[in-house]
Formats: sequence, C-alpha cells, structure tokens
Amino acid sequence: MLEVRGLCVRYGAAPALWNVSLTIGDGELVSLVGPNGAGKTTLVNAIAGVHKPASGQMTIDGRDLMALPAHRFCESGIALVPEGRRLFARMSVRENLEIGAYRVAARIEREAAIEGVCALFPAVRDKLDHPAASLSGGQQQMVAIGRALMAKPRLLLLDEPSLGLSPLMVHAMFGAIRDVHAAGTAVLLVEQNVAMALDIADRAYLLEEGRIVAKGAASDVRDHPDLRRAYLGATEQ
Amino acid sequence: MTLPSATLLAQSALSGIFIGSLYGLLGLGLSLSWGLLHVINLAHFAFAFLAAYLCYQLASVGGVDPLLTLVLIVPLFAALGIAVQWLLARFSLSPLNSLLATFGLTAIVEAGIQGYWTADFRKLESVYAGEKLRIGGLFVPIPELITLALAVALSFGIYAAMRHTRLGRALRALAEDAPIAAAFGINAQAHALAIAGVSGALAGIAGVCLALSFTLTPSSIYAWVGVVFAAVMLGGLGSALGPLFAGAAIGVSEAVTMAVASPSWAPIVSFTLLIALLLLRPGRT
Ligand SMILES: Nc1ncnc2c1ncn2[C@@H]1O[C@H](COP(=O)(O)OP(=O)(O)O)[C@@H](O)[C@H]1O
Ligand SMILES: [Mg+2]
Repeated sequence: MLEVRGLCVRYGAAPALWNVSLTIGDGELVSLVGPNGAGKTTLVNAIAGVHKPASGQMTIDGRDLMALPAHRFCESGIALVPEGRRLFARMSVRENLEIGAYRVAARIEREAAIEGVCALFPAVRDKLDHPAASLSGGQQQMVAIGRALMAKPRLLLLDEPSLGLSPLMVHAMFGAIRDVHAAGTAVLLVEQNVAMALDIADRAYLLEEGRIVAKGAASDVRDHPDLRRAYLGATEQ
Repeated sequence: MTLPSATLLAQSALSGIFIGSLYGLLGLGLSLSWGLLHVINLAHFAFAFLAAYLCYQLASVGGVDPLLTLVLIVPLFAALGIAVQWLLARFSLSPLNSLLATFGLTAIVEAGIQGYWTADFRKLESVYAGEKLRIGGLFVPIPELITLALAVALSFGIYAAMRHTRLGRALRALAEDAPIAAAFGINAQAHALAIAGVSGALAGIAGVCLALSFTLTPSSIYAWVGVVFAAVMLGGLGSALGPLFAGAAIGVSEAVTMAVASPSWAPIVSFTLLIALLLLRPGRT
C-alpha cells in the first residue's frame, strides 16, 4: 500500500535521508531498525506528513503524498505515534483521543473507538478525564497509541513505543501492537529494541546514517552482518 | 491622609470593575492571538481605535445607534484581522518580530486616523452617555455597564467554546503541538485565520466600547498598551477568562489607589503587579 522511492530529507542544509526506498504491503508489519541518529524518526515523520521531504516519491495505494499539505496525509489512513509520545499535555486523555478522531470520517464512531482503546488498554479507562500530563510514561504511551488508533488507520506508524518503559510495560506494548496488526492494520515499527522488533515483524529495514543498508525478511536482517556492525561495531574488536 | 467613605470606596471599586472589563475585552483578542498564534499583535490596539473612530463617525455624523454599528464593524474588523494574519503568515515571523511588524502597522493606522479625524478630541455623544442607573448609593453609567456585559459574555462564551467544541479542541491542540495536530487532520493555516478573525472582531467590539465611554485622540492608542499587556500576562496567554479577571483586578486596584492615595499613583499599580508576577513565576511567558 505504501511506496517510498528515492526519498531525500534535509533539515535546513543538513541532509538526514539519502535516496531511501521502502514499501509496506496491506496489513504487513514492517520493522525499521538502526542506531541512534540514523534517520528513523525523520523517515517516519516524512511518511506522516510532519516533515516535508526535499525530493523523492511517496504514494499510498497509488495516490501521491508528496503534493499534499500536512493535514491531508491522514485522509489516506496514515496515523502516527510520534517519538516521545507528544500528547497534548494540557488536554484531558479523552480530548487527546478525540483529536485522534478529528477527521469527520473517524468522528462519527468516536465513542465506540474510545471504548475500543479502553478495551485494548484497560488502564486508560480510569484516566479519561485526567490531564494527559498527569499520566505515567507507560500510560501516556498507551494514550499516544490510542490517539492514533482513533483515526482508524490502515497504516500505523510507531516511533519507539517502548522507549523509557519498564520491561513489563514493554511486553504489554508489544502485545498491543500484535493485536492491532492481527486486526488487519499495517504497521511500521521503529524500535531500539532490535530483538523484539525483528521477532514481531514480517519484514525489516536497517537504516544507517540516512541510508537503507539492509532489507528483507526479518530473520534475514537479523543475521545481516551490517546489523551486528551497526549495534556492536563500536565494542566489537 | 483621611480615609474615604465606604460609599466612595464602593463607587471606586465599581468603576475599577468597569474599566477593568474594558482592559479584559481589549486583552481577550490579544491573548488569543499571542497564546494560540504566537503573534503579539500590537495592531490590536490600533484596530480597536480605528473601530472606535468609525463608530464615532457613524453615530455622531451618520446618526446611527452606536451599538448598531457593530453590525458593520464586527465583520469588517474580522476581515481586517484575517488579512493581517494572512500577510504575517507569509513571513513566518517569530513572536518578537511579529511585535515589531504590528508596531509598524499601529503607527500607520495612527497616522491614518490622524489624517482623517485630526488630532482633536472626539467624543461620541450617544443616547447612552447621559443615562445613569442608581443602585443603592452607587451610580452605574450605562455605557460602562454595556462594556462589562459584552466583556463578560464574550470571555465566558469563548471560554466555553474553547473547552466544549470541536473547533476549540482543535485550536488548543494546535497551540500545544501544531505538527502533530496537523498529522491528525487539523488544518493549521485555516485555524490561524479563524483565530485572527475572532481576534479582529474582538478589537472592533472593544473599539465600540471605547467610543461609548472615552474621548478619542489618535495618540491615546498607546495609553492602553501597558496596562492591557499586564492583564494579558497576568491572566495567562491564550486564556479566555484570564484577561477579564486580571483586568478587573488591575482596574479595581487602580481605582482604589486613586481614591485612597492620589490619581498619579494608579498606573504604578498594574506595573508593580506585572513585575511581581514575572519575578514570582520565572520561566513563564
Ligand atoms: N529537527 C531537527 N533539526 C536538525 N537536525 C535534526 C532534526 N531532527 C533530527 N536531526 C538530525 O537528523 C539525523 C537523523 O535523526 P533522527 O531521524 O531523529 O534519527 P533516529 O530517529 O534514527 O534516532 C540526526 O543526525 C539528527 O541529528
Ligand atoms: Mg528517533
């Protein structure tokens, strides 16, 4: 469904992505791994419309994304769980979820969708009327995922959802991602936790210094020498 | 120093609430554009005065009821607000640069007012000006009462809209994190224009209130800037109710200071409050 071809992204004059190509099929779970500063967030944000690429192509179901203004990316069924969650801190949890269902199409079913989020993350139910800022890190991550699910996405972009969470919470988070995927939603998962990310994924990409250096079935990427180098290079002699 | 009578104090407090409600009304549009658009729109004051002169012209010369001029002034100044925001957005200015740019605009509007209406005093002699209610021992002038009613209704109305409508939620989300709000389908540019339109309309309404109660000169635009900024910063940027309450607090402190000390002390009050606040709450802008 998503096709990215020859994407180049810059921050001012500094290039962050070079000629990146990536595809995600309907309902597929794809992991994007790579060391810190590789450009994973940059790529995910470009796909969500948060940061405009300098050049390249992006299409979803053949529809051109490059020409769209930021607020129209979600019409194509893309929803983002951004790095660091970026909840609307001063708004209540319920209001955050309602922003997720801002689009008219998603808005109609928003009460049922809030119920769905509470079913996936029972801890959220008691917090609906609390300010988002008052929640724990794990609960905030649940709300960030819930907010994206409220948009009824066909492609969910998850940027480091396990960052800063306790091992127990990480486990719960991966369980939820598996559930969302099982329900038919395509997922692009960015993770520092490479083992778990490759475990859960159908396919994977390895990004290093703004370039895709390996891609293929998750099991192949796991055994790829570049992966070992990317993560162990500094310590392996 | 002799203490003034209870009646005089109560009358002072009441007039403080009245003038404070005008501070709040002027501050409301300023606060929305500062807090939600990150534009410090100094031209808000100039637009309010332009609306005041327009109201004066239509009412004094044209014989129109001053309140009826709102029918023309509200859409006109909403459009003006939108036009200015559209221009500012093309240059993506920092808040400080927006202050400088709108300062320039203020000077232009002031010159325009001076060119058309001259620097002479202008006072609207409306049907409302002579009327006074008497409640208990207190005099309640009608123009000030109209200002208070408008300020309260608009502040609470906008507060409720920000909290309970889809548009209000979208605006608060944009103010907190515009790129993420946009990723969920909220059109930042369109909403910025909407806020600017509301803010412009508020400048127009505040201008009509100015014309109802005050003698107008072009240079008195600047007399309002300091105290209204104080009300906006005390009330919290982007807050709908803050400017009203902070404005009333400043107005009452000023009026009571005038009654117990001397009128020359009054302006010091708002700035002392503002400086105290900035010192006590560092890191807040
Ligand atoms: N807002 C920004 N402005 C300038 N440079 C940035 C910005 N965000 C990221 N970068 C740079 O782009 C590169 C990729 O960053 P990022 O996409 O955050 O990597 P990752 O998510 O893989 O850790 C890094 O070199 C980073 O310093
Ligand atoms: Mg990142």
